[in-house]
Amino acid sequence: MLNDTLTKFKGSFAPGAHIELRAQHNTTAAVSLFCGNQVGNASSNTSGVSARAFKNGVWGFSSAADLSDEAVKNVLRAATDNAIFLDGKVGNKPITLPAIKEGSYRSPVFTTPCEQKRYTEFCRELDDYISKKYPSLASRFVSSRYECMEKLLVTSDGYTSHSYAPRSYIYVQLSAEGKDASPIELFEPYGGMGVFDENFTDPALLFPKIDALYEKVMQKREGVFPEAGTKTVILDGMLSGMLAHEAVGHTVEADLVLGGSVAAHSLNQRVASDLVTLVDFAHTAFGESAPLPVYVDDEGTPCEDAVIIDKGILTGYLNNRESALHFGMKPQGNARAYLFSDEPLIRMRNTAILPGKDSLADMIASVEDGYYLIDTNNGQADTTGEFMFGVCMGYEIKNGKLGRAILDTTISGVAFDMLKTVDMVSDEMVWASSGYCGKKQPMPVGMGGPAIRCKVTMGGR
Amino acid sequence: MTNLSLLTESMITRAKELGADLVKASASRSEVREFNVDGGRFSLFRTLFNQSVSITVFKGGRKGSASVNRFDEEAVNKVIADALAAADSSQPDEAWDLCHEPNSYDITDGCPIADTDLLFTRTEELKNTIAKDYPKVLLEQMIVDHSGFEAVTRTSYGAHFKRRGGSYQVSLMFSAHEGEKASSFMGAGFTTDSLDTPFIELADTRRALADIEKQIDTEAIEGKFVGTMVLTPDSLGEFFGSALSNFTSDISIIDGTSIWKNALGTKVADERLTIGMNPRDPRIVGGSYATGEGFMAENYNVIENGILKTFMLSLYAANKTGHTRAPNDGFDMIIEGGDTPYDEMIASIDKGIIVGRFSGGAPNAKGDFSGVAKNSFLVENGKITKALRETMINGNLADLFTSIISISKETTVNGGSVLPSISFSGITVSGK
Repeated sequence: MLNDTLTKFKGSFAPGAHIELRAQHNTTAAVSLFCGNQVGNASSNTSGVSARAFKNGVWGFSSAADLSDEAVKNVLRAATDNAIFLDGKVGNKPITLPAIKEGSYRSPVFTTPCEQKRYTEFCRELDDYISKKYPSLASRFVSSRYECMEKLLVTSDGYTSHSYAPRSYIYVQLSAEGKDASPIELFEPYGGMGVFDENFTDPALLFPKIDALYEKVMQKREGVFPEAGTKTVILDGMLSGMLAHEAVGHTVEADLVLGGSVAAHSLNQRVASDLVTLVDFAHTAFGESAPLPVYVDDEGTPCEDAVIIDKGILTGYLNNRESALHFGMKPQGNARAYLFSDEPLIRMRNTAILPGKDSLADMIASVEDGYYLIDTNNGQADTTGEFMFGVCMGYEIKNGKLGRAILDTTISGVAFDMLKTVDMVSDEMVWASSGYCGKKQPMPVGMGGPAIRCKVTMGGR
Repeated sequence: MTNLSLLTESMITRAKELGADLVKASASRSEVREFNVDGGRFSLFRTLFNQSVSITVFKGGRKGSASVNRFDEEAVNKVIADALAAADSSQPDEAWDLCHEPNSYDITDGCPIADTDLLFTRTEELKNTIAKDYPKVLLEQMIVDHSGFEAVTRTSYGAHFKRRGGSYQVSLMFSAHEGEKASSFMGAGFTTDSLDTPFIELADTRRALADIEKQIDTEAIEGKFVGTMVLTPDSLGEFFGSALSNFTSDISIIDGTSIWKNALGTKVADERLTIGMNPRDPRIVGGSYATGEGFMAENYNVIENGILKTFMLSLYAANKTGHTRAPNDGFDMIIEGGDTPYDEMIASIDKGIIVGRFSGGAPNAKGDFSGVAKNSFLVENGKITKALRETMINGNLADLFTSIISISKETTVNGGSVLPSISFSGITVSGK
């Protein structure tokens, strides 16, 4: 655990200057078994200190892989010098960030990760189960990944914090030979926030999930190519969460708004049907912990929920302190950094469409000819809101009933057009948190949503 | 300052004393100077100082790895212990190995020391040139940096690699705007070891900026057609990279899902196509001199005159499958220019599409791809007629190799690859 070697330097911050000083330790442990071969078995520890200084609209930043007092002094001096250098070159008008309330936060729990052999033993038990029970599979991939970010933050104003954010997952991919000898694959993550031993007490508890995954692979093996074109579909929670994150969330990140995203011209306008409300949750959602809670961001801003779309109207952006000043909005704690050597960027936290009042059964029954799309293996979106998601699991819907499974396909559309077609929203939430969001730096994020009925363009053959 | 050669030597000695059979140890230190432009204005100057040690041990055929970014004795001893503990918990696999030769080099190349003032000047010049020559373009983000490093890798077979180097990297993301109308975003970038040339003149930067200004007003096509697809150098690298990864890399050869698993020595592509992986080509900046297993890196052709010459396998996968390992483990793709000027390539198309960027799902093992053609143009009767939106393309990666119509004379050199534009027949293009 990091010792607080930073607070004593707060007195040396230049009066009136905005300074952030952060010590950070990232830990990872990863194991992977491919068809029983242990192809991955590694751990890493990355730690250091960084400082960031603001001067007239530009930032100076410096980091060192060292937690000594000497390193702290060096990065403080270098960050300030870098801000002065850039300000001298650019010559902006004087500007200061408005102060925010002061306070402190400390994570309630700090735990020790388990030994590397625990990951290997657990994965091997799962792999043995799969290889014995399903010998006809073409290939199997079982892996585990644990990571933890511990941060110690001292800022010239705002909150100080000492946070600890572990998460751990098991990933299983099963591949069977399809009708034309091409592989049919499905992949599923299990786990979430917490150290490995908290999330995974017994491999046998995952066996039913693996059985269900195998069953889906077998259904998909008999699957058909979907028909291309604009279709009525039900996007299950994994896909509505992907939509919330990729196609809406990124376009309302204030740095991308300033870079010309579609949301620059859509504030306070209708961008979705009035059944759609979309929120970036900070740490608590529906009375429970959000998948990856964040309490204080890396600028010292206490985190609160950011309502992005309220009953179909775009109501806000995701900000850091500087962009909040620009747009006249309140910073809500979205500035986050991945490593000690990374500067805070505007990032999502737990972004989700809120559930509605319809039952999934009623939604399926309401579709005469369409698709129920359940899972995605990737997604990309443009700053225009145009998106493309890979769909790796889904079913036909014919006359209100689920039909055959479908083979891999894609869906595409323009977010603020497609969201206006949402006419039913289910009453159940699905969350995902095992991936990374990529934006100069990786960042763990949560995303989720209910099932939504809407129209999208399906790719076919 | 820690001597990296002595540090890695002591790590190997220590790991062997603790029971390791084979050891690879690496240590490095690095400095980065980076300028950021966001939303068209300078936003950040940062300086980063980092270091790293990593170790991989093999014990009774069991492999374990660990890394830390500290050089002190306590941290280094812990990382050795962590790697050994990981190996102890693993299973034996005879395929793991390192190069048995005591290869070595001691090289300084590139530009280890940054010229920070000139780097800022070149960055500001690029920003100002874009504003002047491409007034509709908004720089969403520009990241320009210099990375300098010193790195040492040693193995218990006596390999000893010392390198000091550095390079400048430029990465742009931009879109074009007219009132409330906007194009999709587009990226451009390159790596160079010299600040002699204005950045705007390097790689494909001017073409990418000019193209995006023509993509503010886009149209969807009605229905679908089967026609010609031109991949620009950027999108070509993405498609061919994906294909080679799908058909020739470790996983697909080990599990036998590669559709080229029995194609070594046979024709898999048009005979005009040769794809090299050439880290030692003078146009590649910062290419590797050795593989991660301790072999000296050599240039090689994956495909030569249409014939599949080798798989792109690690030593582990080679030992696992009985095939030959690749002569280097980088991805510095070289395809030399062909005999068709780019303008003639476009003029010869009856109906087709120029794809500047592809937004699609990962192709399946068979190579089927489907996704949205971004930053793309429709070509009709030899002329570019409109910029496209919401247009999907479908095809198969393996089929691309055999359906080449022409290869452009012009190539784009971006420091990490040398690629032409290539036109292909038989691609399904669908609109609304």
